Amino acid sequence: MFPKNRTALSSLLVLMFGIVLFYIGTDGFKAFTAETARVNQLMDEKPQFPDVTLEDNNGKSYSFSEFEGKYVFITFLYTSCGTVCPELEVNMSEVYKRIPEEYIGHDIQFLSISFDPERDDPKTLDTYRKAFGSDGETWRMARIPEQQELDSVLDRFGVIVIPDEYGNFAHNSAFYLVNPKGQLIEVMDYTLIEEAADRVTEILHSGREE
Amino acid sequence: MKSPVYGLLLLLALMLPPISNLLESIMITHMHMQMPLLVVSGLFMAKFFQNRFPEFFSKWNENGVPGLLLFSIIMMYWSLPRTMDEALTLTSVEVFKFISLPFLAGVPLRDSWPKLNSFWKHALIIFFTILFLALGWLYIWSPVQLCNNYLVIEQITLGWGFISTAFAMVVYLIYSYFMDFSKYE
Repeated sequence: MFPKNRTALSSLLVLMFGIVLFYIGTDGFKAFTAETARVNQLMDEKPQFPDVTLEDNNGKSYSFSEFEGKYVFITFLYTSCGTVCPELEVNMSEVYKRIPEEYIGHDIQFLSISFDPERDDPKTLDTYRKAFGSDGETWRMARIPEQQELDSVLDRFGVIVIPDEYGNFAHNSAFYLVNPKGQLIEVMDYTLIEEAADRVTEILHSGREE
Repeated sequence: MKSPVYGLLLLLALMLPPISNLLESIMITHMHMQMPLLVVSGLFMAKFFQNRFPEFFSKWNENGVPGLLLFSIIMMYWSLPRTMDEALTLTSVEVFKFISLPFLAGVPLRDSWPKLNSFWKHALIIFFTILFLALGWLYIWSPVQLCNNYLVIEQITLGWGFISTAFAMVVYLIYSYFMDFSKYE
């Protein structure tokens, strides 16, 4: 083969290589940040919530299977957090208010999980709970006292927590929805309250019909 | 011809775990020191490949444009927030970084640069000035944390790094517009 315009041909080949590279690197131009890629992957994998022991704001201890048969709406936080977590919890309470009352407690459980079990004892969690209008029953705040169990949850759900030098944590945030079998089925943007509430209501509604 | 040896030594040094961990621990040194140094190692090693495969370079990169394109594509790829994040969490991406930056960016740039006329040289610098301004804007004013492995403050530092590099390139462009370099050659 003797192409007459060789550099144009090689430029074209390079361009095609570039398109393929970007296509693979961004999962088909869908995920330009690792966070988007993480969420997409989680929704594909539907990981199982590990059966860990929780200790809630009332000081009660039980395993996660306590919630079997219910959808569980989960956020991850730590109470000494001054930035994202209050916003995350306020938004969670907004979602809570928008879910039709008939489902609350029967079909869906709200759960805030602390990844700072050392500082967030039941008493601290209880104070924090009141600040966001959680009733402590249909919306509980809990810690996972066993570090190993906590790590397994964070790892399974792709929550990356980096402690900084001031005793704070940098972490990614989202709303997580676990189905009655304990599988993660939705990861939602925590800043889009309406969308999350609509999506959850829709899932609860179709869940009842089944 | 010692330069390819130095390039290879530089690449090997950058691959040493203590050095790569140190440079990757801070976002701005990851992007604005480690990655450019990898390209530099390729610039040094280019002579080896040019001597080894002179036919290939003169035929397929005759006017330098394909090499310039390849260089730009690789550089753009590594300025995505995602690739930088995944280089830290996925070994395959990390390996690709150490291969692509020297051999697919450094080597073609060295081969292309002398072949390019001043139009393409300036086009490349203008392109990267605009890209760096855009990336600086993205990293500084983005409301979200773009990389899971770095803090937001590091992201803002990186953004200013991009803006200052873009500023330096603007200074060069103005300078080259008013000065006649051929008098010095």
